[in-house]
Amino acid sequence: MDLSLNDEQQAFRALARDFLDREAVPHRVEWDRAESVDLAIVPKMAEIGFFGLTIPEEYGGLGGDYVTYSLAMEELGRADSALRGIVSVSSGLVGKSILFHGSEEQKQEWLPQLAEATKLGCFGLTEPDVGSDAGNLTTRARRDGDDYVIDGQKLYITNGTWADVALIFARTGSDGPRGISAFLVPTDAPGFEAREIKGKLGLRGQATAELFLDGVRVPASAMLGEEGTGFKIAMSTLDKGRLAVASGCVGIVQGCLETAVEYATSRTQFGRPLAGFQLVQDMIADISLDADAARLLAWRCADLIDRGEPYGVAASKAKLFASEAAVRAANNALQVHGGAGYVDEYPPAKYLRDARVMTLYEGTSQIQKLLIGRDETGISAFV
Amino acid sequence: MSEQHRSDLEQRVTALLEAHDPATTGRAEFLRARWDAGLAWVHFPEGLGGLGLPRDLQAHVDDLLAAAGAPDNAPERNGIGLGMAAPTILAHGTPEQHERFLRPLWLGEEIWCQLFSEPGAGSDLAAVATRAVRDEPSDEWVVNGQKVWTSSAHLADFAILVARTDPDVPKHGGLSYFLLGMREPGVEVRPLRQLTGEAEFNEVFLTDVRVPDAQRLGAVGEGWRIANTTLNSERVSIGGQAVPREAGMVGKVAAAWRAAPERRTHGAHRRLLDLWVQAEAARITGSRVRQQLAVGAPGPEGSATKLVFARLAQELSALEVELLEEDGLRYDDWTLTRPEKVDFTGRDAGYRYLRAKGNSIEGGTSEILRNIIAERVLGLPGEPRVDKDVAWKDLPR
Repeated sequence: MDLSLNDEQQAFRALARDFLDREAVPHRVEWDRAESVDLAIVPKMAEIGFFGLTIPEEYGGLGGDYVTYSLAMEELGRADSALRGIVSVSSGLVGKSILFHGSEEQKQEWLPQLAEATKLGCFGLTEPDVGSDAGNLTTRARRDGDDYVIDGQKLYITNGTWADVALIFARTGSDGPRGISAFLVPTDAPGFEAREIKGKLGLRGQATAELFLDGVRVPASAMLGEEGTGFKIAMSTLDKGRLAVASGCVGIVQGCLETAVEYATSRTQFGRPLAGFQLVQDMIADISLDADAARLLAWRCADLIDRGEPYGVAASKAKLFASEAAVRAANNALQVHGGAGYVDEYPPAKYLRDARVMTLYEGTSQIQKLLIGRDETGISAFV
Repeated sequence: MSEQHRSDLEQRVTALLEAHDPATTGRAEFLRARWDAGLAWVHFPEGLGGLGLPRDLQAHVDDLLAAAGAPDNAPERNGIGLGMAAPTILAHGTPEQHERFLRPLWLGEEIWCQLFSEPGAGSDLAAVATRAVRDEPSDEWVVNGQKVWTSSAHLADFAILVARTDPDVPKHGGLSYFLLGMREPGVEVRPLRQLTGEAEFNEVFLTDVRVPDAQRLGAVGEGWRIANTTLNSERVSIGGQAVPREAGMVGKVAAAWRAAPERRTHGAHRRLLDLWVQAEAARITGSRVRQQLAVGAPGPEGSATKLVFARLAQELSALEVELLEEDGLRYDDWTLTRPEKVDFTGRDAGYRYLRAKGNSIEGGTSEILRNIIAERVLGLPGEPRVDKDVAWKDLPR
């Protein structure tokens, strides 16, 4: 077993870190307070290749493996999870749904633009009353001649107000998961409205929106995959999405480790550095262990994808562990910083607020446990 | 509590209410009469708003007065004054200082803040660098330095201050304790924005601020010992109050659980029960500590109460956010406000979650409290202290 990174992977990681340390880290507190990153960073990120990773070159992407993708998500999470969210929703959730389930025309139309981030995508699954229970969503798509007409509402949609295309999951058939289909809906279609949700605890730099679809008309060719396969598309995409969340959380843990070590070695109390106290080293050791364990789980998942093996449960484990680790690490880093951790200028405060949602979205920790438990026992405990 | 004390107190309350009907008496006048009747804080001595009775009886007096519609002294506006300054002034002040400061403090006419922590002296409080230099001709002290984490500094009239009066002796021995006027020239207060978005705390810059020697509390060089009276009182005042079952954070979480049956899971149920039991144990332990307090000043035991309070507040508020699912990730207000009072369980779940992070830092970090418990309660060997016998001026900084 060889856990070392190859030259390309190391080079990409170094490039990503250098770029983000220059372009994102100095601005993240101000973006967080303003409730928006400076969107001028999006084309610059595309130039580095963040949006094109794992999208094949023939569709305008960079190609590349999922280990590199995981490294990119880690670097984004370390710098600013709001940026990580913009990339993993647009190129991950939307781009990969199109790549794996789209028609050739759909791929040609959307993938190059998503890979270059000249267009952004959003993923319209969650609804006001449908979170973890996505199979029961209520947005409807009604066939009308050669078109579909979509009515409904979506909630907590990342990139919602910035996106050019929305991947909307809507009911075309009977109740339950098999009645759902997926549609690529241009956000400038008449009847489509996105309203930004202000006042979030974390991920304040990304636009989170409520989507209202009122008689939105799309041609039948906007359907992604077969009719009735929408739920499957959503779930298989979310498996890979979990790798992105897990890797982003590895970045949060790594960032917490770096800031805790820096503070503990530079601040003196009682005549010695904070790092000279056993209780402080205890917290730093916990963060370090969390960083290694979370990263190895994420890499294992990425490696399974790269080798074409089943990775769903590995993704659940990585997402569950890394997201819980991110919350733990942020708490530990904050405590190591003492009063400075409680001030809105130092890194732990933002890591903590950004980490909070990670255990909840793209499948809560409880959902991941049920997926893992079902795999271990062969018995589903979903109700 | 003895029945004799209880009925005696009830008679005094009745007499106060008869002589000063809350319905027709102004607030200030009623509070002054209450002070004079010894019903302000019954555990204080007679003549200083009290009757020299056990501390626990106060709750009974408060209840009777509240039931009669009497105004209170708005204790939430002067938490530092009532919880920290007053016990310290009582324990270490001269009769003249008692006379001058305690009454307006209790009445809420003078608000207090605490000038202890500094940028370079947080957990290592004895390392404070703010200097107080005696100016013999005027019989005053001249204070220079910077303090931080000062709640209510922008509202305060007075501050309890720990400052260095002798840099040539080891750090604990060179400190003195002062009662500093916050309206004096040379006091500058700047808000400090915190994790929650608001600025509950301040930075305070002291430039040639003058304090009369008559406002020195205790002897020169006794500052550390006196500061410990204050800090022990603080740790009791954070998390040490008498509360009914399911008050505070556990009540918020229990309410969230009851309000949304559709969000219940077995895992959350188990965590809630586990934390509920711990919160109840902590509540009862707090009550026992308060009974011990009734017969003396707070000792190091309050550190355990505060340590557990902080841990439970953080775990409970995290569970509440999870129980509320997406709603728990909303945040009500990010504007930079300067709240007049702090309510750990106020506002919404997101605020409670963030505010609780401060609980394990303010008033002694959880790490410092563990040291105190280990050394002063359990009598375990002390943390090695490299700086104990070195003159403060020779310490690395």
